[in-house]
Order: sequence, then structure tokens, then C-alpha cells
Amino acid sequence: MKLAHMMDGHRASKGPLADQLARSERLFASTGHYAGLEDLELRQADPLRFETVHMKLRAFCVSAREMARRISASPGVREVGEMVVALYTPEGDAVALSNGIMVHVHTMSRFIKWMIRNEYEGNPGIAPGDIFANNDAFIGTVQVPDVMDVIPIFHEGRLIAWAGAVCHELEAGGITPGGDVALAQERYAEGLFVCAEKIGVNDTIRRDYVIRCERNLRMPIYWVLDEQAKVAACIYIREQLLELVADIGAETLVSLCREFIEEGRRSQLARTRQLTVPGTYRGHAFYGHITSGKPGFQALGDPDWLYAIPIEMTIGVDGKIMLDFEGAQPWGYHSMNCTPAGMDGGMFVTLTQHMNYEGMVNAGAWLATELRLPPGSWTNPDRETCATATSWALLLPAFGVFQRLLSRGFLARGFVEEVFVGQVNSPMIEMGGINQHGDEFGIAHFECAAAGSGALAIKDGLDTAYVGWNPESDMGNVEIWEQEMPLLYLGRSILPNSGGAGRFRGGNAFLSTWLVSKTDELRLVTSEHSSRVFDNAGMCGGYPAPTCQVHRTVRNSNIAQRARNRLPLVHDLGPGQDRLASRLDGIHEQTEGPFIAAPMKSGDIFTHSYNGGGGYGDPLARCPKLTLTDMRNGHSSRRHAEVVHGIRFLESSESELAIDWDATKQARKSMLRNRLERARPVSAWLSEERQRVMSRDFVPEVRKMYAAAMRLSPRFAAEFRQFWSLPSEFSFEDTGAGKDPSK
Amino acid sequence: MKGYDRKTIGDLLEGALPWQQTKQIMSSYKDDDRFLKALAAHQMRVPWKARILLPLGENLYIVLKEGQRVVRCSCGFVFGDASRNWKLGAVVLVRKTRQELEEIYPHADVCDGNWMELREFICPSCATLLEVEACAPGYPIVEDFRPDLDAFYSEWLGAPLEDASGEASPNEHGGSSLSQPPDRNT
Ligand SMILES: [Zn+2]
Repeated sequence: MKLAHMMDGHRASKGPLADQLARSERLFASTGHYAGLEDLELRQADPLRFETVHMKLRAFCVSAREMARRISASPGVREVGEMVVALYTPEGDAVALSNGIMVHVHTMSRFIKWMIRNEYEGNPGIAPGDIFANNDAFIGTVQVPDVMDVIPIFHEGRLIAWAGAVCHELEAGGITPGGDVALAQERYAEGLFVCAEKIGVNDTIRRDYVIRCERNLRMPIYWVLDEQAKVAACIYIREQLLELVADIGAETLVSLCREFIEEGRRSQLARTRQLTVPGTYRGHAFYGHITSGKPGFQALGDPDWLYAIPIEMTIGVDGKIMLDFEGAQPWGYHSMNCTPAGMDGGMFVTLTQHMNYEGMVNAGAWLATELRLPPGSWTNPDRETCATATSWALLLPAFGVFQRLLSRGFLARGFVEEVFVGQVNSPMIEMGGINQHGDEFGIAHFECAAAGSGALAIKDGLDTAYVGWNPESDMGNVEIWEQEMPLLYLGRSILPNSGGAGRFRGGNAFLSTWLVSKTDELRLVTSEHSSRVFDNAGMCGGYPAPTCQVHRTVRNSNIAQRARNRLPLVHDLGPGQDRLASRLDGIHEQTEGPFIAAPMKSGDIFTHSYNGGGGYGDPLARCPKLTLTDMRNGHSSRRHAEVVHGIRFLESSESELAIDWDATKQARKSMLRNRLERARPVSAWLSEERQRVMSRDFVPEVRKMYAAAMRLSPRFAAEFRQFWSLPSEFSFEDTGAGKDPSK
Repeated sequence: MKGYDRKTIGDLLEGALPWQQTKQIMSSYKDDDRFLKALAAHQMRVPWKARILLPLGENLYIVLKEGQRVVRCSCGFVFGDASRNWKLGAVVLVRKTRQELEEIYPHADVCDGNWMELREFICPSCATLLEVEACAPGYPIVEDFRPDLDAFYSEWLGAPLEDASGEASPNEHGGSSLSQPPDRNT
């Protein structure tokens, strides 16, 4: 890392690409326009050609991705679509992209620029037919399983573009199996790193690189065939692009690509001015991480953490969106840190869903936005050896906040149909050991790509159908997953009431119940599962989704005996029940937060639940008919309908429930009265709370959270003291707060 | 792109538009006159006359009342000057015990009240739940949104607000965009 640092930075360049990159950045800095383009001359001269070429470039990317998915062996890529393909300018700016995990369009951009800045033109050289790969988040990706490949595209000896592709790998060879290496507390435990490496020449992946993959991964077939798929996608783009060049000329293509980006920048600004209101927006989310007493964790820092994720968004009069993470926690010895490249990725994938859905999305959108990432925080670690394997754990709550902040703008502007309470975390289960065929294996289970979404301002959120990181969310078929792992599904069922309550509820999540089958060694690990705090929020009176679910397991269960005796099995937990406890004998365990334990074996039962989304609007204003439909479809329990929504029913059989409208009206009236009786003026509550803050009467994790945020951010500290009218010397330092791991 | 009629926008705001039609609106180019039509629909929806300058939430508006920009509930309750966080003028119900949390989350694993509390900001007049904060105890109350109203009207809408008449605009109180601190002596 130190060497890379020495090579990094802007210094006298060596090579035409480095000169080009420096010139492009100078032009943007001095003119405010991409590549200094104050006029889009080609667009003006021939708008039809402008649009046609752009559509063609996008079509190349989409077709390349679809073709490549057929080469992959990984259900993550084949089923869930964990892949994206994009085209870049010679300087590494994104021009066009496919659908899929658009997160990586800008992370690949960072990777290309990193190679240019680090004088790759000299050594190892950038030549036709070369293949470069990277999964180092400090060079440009989000996490170790996000492996990207790029190839330079030459025309008559001149580099005119780059093609790039990313697949999310299901196994990365880290300390725990899977790709989101949950137990990694520093870089050295995250698995196989490929650091901006030339892995192939003459369109062929080097054999020694494949051998390295085969000897360092638990399930090399995914990674290696994904490499083939990505290289095929890149070559496909190159061939298509060169055909286009034969048609319109290289010079025109390169100039058009620059105009696309400047146009993308302008349209992002214009879109912000069209859909939002200028001003300052604030919000936050929290994440709890509990590892005390769990096997494997080294005592490098505090075992239990509470993370505050505050965001201030400013929309300027010019339409520029700025996100400021001041007040964020310092990075830590866990796998949830995020690099600036990852933060870019979160921003980019969110923008493509909420503002740039019409197609002209490219590096221009990124140029019309800005991220302020406090150095030393989890958003911008000042130690490049910290782990980022599960950075989504904090990224998803953070960009869920961004979605709510944007939505406040949409709401104010009257575009209620765009208001979206946002994404939630997608707890992942990963595993390894010996599979049902007796072979060693490792895999990440990607059914987590189907969480509940936040509510909309006009309707309930999507049930089991959305994650922020892949806008084409898909949980994959049960049968496919069962082929890949020694687990049989007992059930995959909707979790009633798992969306946040509201006039419109958040989308519900699901819970999977598995029987471990045909193995004596199944290592299960989970990640991105917040403990003790809900890691999302509602909006305008809606509540956060309940996202603190625990894992329930039964070892040595008697399920085989039950099956032989034709007794009911366990397909879900049942609302307010625990069918595992009532139906199964065995050793019952409950685990809070990340699951990591001794291997499981045939006959054991494991449950894992995913997250629902936050709600929108006052739950007492919900149309009772919506909830009745929910009850009929297993989305809501009767108790929830009664206590949360104040809905009353005419006594009849459960299958023919009808709403008692008069009683509902009365119940709601009395619940409103009850609210006012229990609530207190905010001013009175604040003065009492101030005493609590003064006496620092919080659990250690909360005190440590404040101490760390105040130490890292003088601004947060000043605002905290100002809000509570605290003396200027007030701090949480004298309460035994843990040492700052970044110091 | 051409706009929709006022009834369509009103139904859309209420969530009462048929899904097919809503989907059509979501998938179409955005209508340029939306803001003014939405304002008009909101204005018809509330039982008071004061001019709405900006919707802030489901039931919250920045309103021009007697020459002053104030935050107002749809029921008419005035929370105070728009330059101050409206939450400070609300009543609050804080949930942190398991029992309090289970009233909202029956049959669910709830958060730990020592780590996170739910703060329900409620209109003191109509008891509508206006906003829920889910945060660590002790976390400063957040001002969700402070719009730059003057810039919005003059630069983006091209129709400057003329209410100011020498009064300070909401943004000139400036400083931190966190809420005002509580009075030390209360
Ligand atoms: Zn009210």
C-alpha cells in the first residue's frame, strides 16, 4: 500500500493518457464544463445522430451483459443479475452503461484513472488485447467480491475508449466463506485481492492468474467463469464499437462521448431543478454491531458498536446536490468500512434510480454532485488496510437516508409519485464447508436481493422485491439455490408486519427456513444485520421497519422423525408464535446480529430473515381496506391491524373478516386522544433530556458513539453542545469511551 | 411536457388515483406546471385560506400568514416561524420500553430502548403523527428540511416572493441547521 501511495497523486505525467486525463481535469476545473465543452457542437449539428449513437452505445452494454450472463456459472450473475457492463472515455469517464449493478459504473472509472495516474502506460503497459482486473476498494470498487475487468479499445494505434464489466463474486476466499467476508477485521482476512493487475494479454486470461484463483478460492468456478464472462462482454463491446467507428470515424465517436458526458452533467442539474427545491435537508440512520462473545473476532477494538449515520444534503441554486457525512463514526476493525469509491457507487446507483432513469446517465451525473466524506470516518478511512468486505451494512442505511432526503424535495415540489421512503439493509447469509456432493464449497446466498422497499407517498412499498444495490432485484429460484448448497428449503414465507407502519406501509420482507441436508460440515455466517437498532426510518409519520430480527436455529432436530410420522413440519415461525419451539425437539438457539457459530450438520434447522422497508404517513390514516387485504394475503396480523391502525372488525370467521367502520372510527378517535394525553410539549421533554445528556446517562455504546463522533468532527461536537446548551468543554471522553481505532 | 388537470393532481396527492394512471404519470416526462397545480390542490384540501408557499410533509406546510412565513399543520395549527424547526412546537411521545415499542411492533423483535428510541412528533391540535425520529437517546432533534424559499421562487420559478416587505427571510437566521437549543432555564 505504501508503494502505491508513493506512486499515486497528480504529478508530471508520463504518457499520452496521463496528459489527456490531466488536461480534461484542468478544463473542468477552469470552465465548469466537462472537457471544457461550453457548446455541444455535434449535438447541435445533428441531434438525431447524437441520440442514435448514444442509444447504440447503451445497446452494446445491455447486449453484452445479457450474453455474458449465459457464460457465468454463478447463480448470483445468472439468476440475480449481479453484473454491469459500461463504456468509458480514454480518461476513464463513464459514457454509457447497461442495467444491473450500476453502483460500479463510477468505481470502474476510479480503477481506470488509478492505472493512468500510476503510470501503467510505462509499466506494465497498456496495449491492444490487454485485460486488467481489480477488486481493491481503495483503488476503485466497493468490496472484495466486486471484481472488475477492463480492456482498452484501440483504433489505428490510438486508445479511443475502455470497456469494463463487474460481477459480484459469490466467494472471495476470505477468513469466512462467501464474498461479504463478515469476519474480516482488516484487509488481510478479506480474501483474494487483485490490485489493478494485468491478468491477460491478446484477449486471453493468463493461465497463472487462473491457477492463483483456483488455489485461493473455495469455489473458483464462479470467479473464473465470471472472468471469462466479463472479458467476453468487453470484447463484444470493442467489436461493436469498432464497427461503429468504421461508420462514423474515431474522432467523431470520441467527441460525441465527451458531449454525452457534458449533456449528462447538464441534465442532472436540470433534473434537480425540475424535481426538487433548493435548501438544506437533514436525516440519519443508525446501525448496531454486536460481536461480544462470538467466536473468531479478535480483540482489536470494541466488540459492540453503535453507528450514527447523519447526512446533510444541500441542493444549490444551480441544481448541484452535495451530501455531507460530517458526524459519521470513525472507521473500525470490522468489515463495514467503505472507501470513497464505494460511497460514489452508493450515490451513483441511487441517482440512476431516482433522477436519471431516462437514460442519459454517465460520468456527467457524478460531476453534478459532490460527496463530503470526513477523513478518518468509515466513509473515508485514513488507513488503507482496513476491511470493507461488508461496506453495504452502512452504505445501504446511508443511501436510504439520501433517498428520503431527495423525497422531501420531490414532495415539496408536488412530485408525490416519486417520493420513496427508501432502501433497507439486505442481510446476507454465506456458507462453506462440505456440500451435498461431498465437495468443498463456498457461496453467498443472494436471495437477499429481494427485501421490502420503503413505502411510497401514494402506495405501499414493494414486498420482497427491492434492494438499492440492484434495481432489478430478484431473489432467484429456490431450486437453483438448492443445487448450489446443502440446504433444503422448508419455507420461504412473507414476514407479516415486517414493513414499517404508516398510511402506506413499507414493503414486507420474507423469512427462509432451511433444513441442513447431506453434510456434516456446513459453516454459516451472516452479515449486514443490525442489532439493537432499526437501521432504517419512516417518513412523514411512518415508522421504521423492525429490522432487529434474531436468527433462530435448532440443532439435532427431530424433523426426520416428524416427517416419518406425517406430522406438520415448520415452514415459518408464524406471527407471534415460534413454531420452531412448539414443533421441534433439539437444541434451540437464538442469535442476535451476525450469526457465526460452530458448523451445522444434517438435521439442523436454520432461519434467516430479511428486512422490510419504512412506512409513510400516519398509520391511523391508513385505509382499513388496504389492511384487510393485507390480512387476507398474510401481510398483516389482526393484532397489528388493531393496535397499530385502530381497525376494528365485525366478529365473523377469520376467512370472512369484515371491517366495522363505526367502531374503527371510534377506536381511532380514542387513539388520537390517547396520543395527546401521553405526549408532552417538546420543550418540556428537551429540558428533561438535557439533564440526561449532562449526566451522560447512556449505555457505554451510546457514550462511545458520541465521544467518537465529537472527536472526529469539531462541527458535530459544536452542534451537539449548542443543541443541548452544554458548556464548551462538555465531552464524553471521561466516561471510559473506547480508544479511537484510527489513532 | 403538458400538465395534468387539477383533479388528477389532487387525486394523485391523496393516493386516490387508479394505479394504471399513476404508473402512466410515473413513467412519463414530468409536467412543468406541477408545482403550481399541486399548490392549488393542497390549498383546496386545507380548511384555511392563508397562502401555502411550500408543502413540507404529508400534513405540514410553509404558509404566509399575516406577512410572516410560518409552519402550519393541515388542521390549521401554527408551529411557529418557518425559520425555526417546527418539531420544537410539537408535542412528542417517546417510546423506549419494550411495552411502548410493542404497541407499534407486535410480534416483532424490537429495538433496545437503551440504544434507540422512537420520537413521535405530533400536532398538539389534531393529534396527527407528523414525523417519527428513530435515533440514539440524546441525539439532537433534526430539522428535516430548511428550504431556500426565496431562491426557489425567484431563481427556479421566476416569480419572486414579495411577502418579505423588509422582514428577514427564513434563511437569514442562518447558523446551524440543527434546531434551536432548548432554553437552559426551563
Ligand atoms: Zn394538526
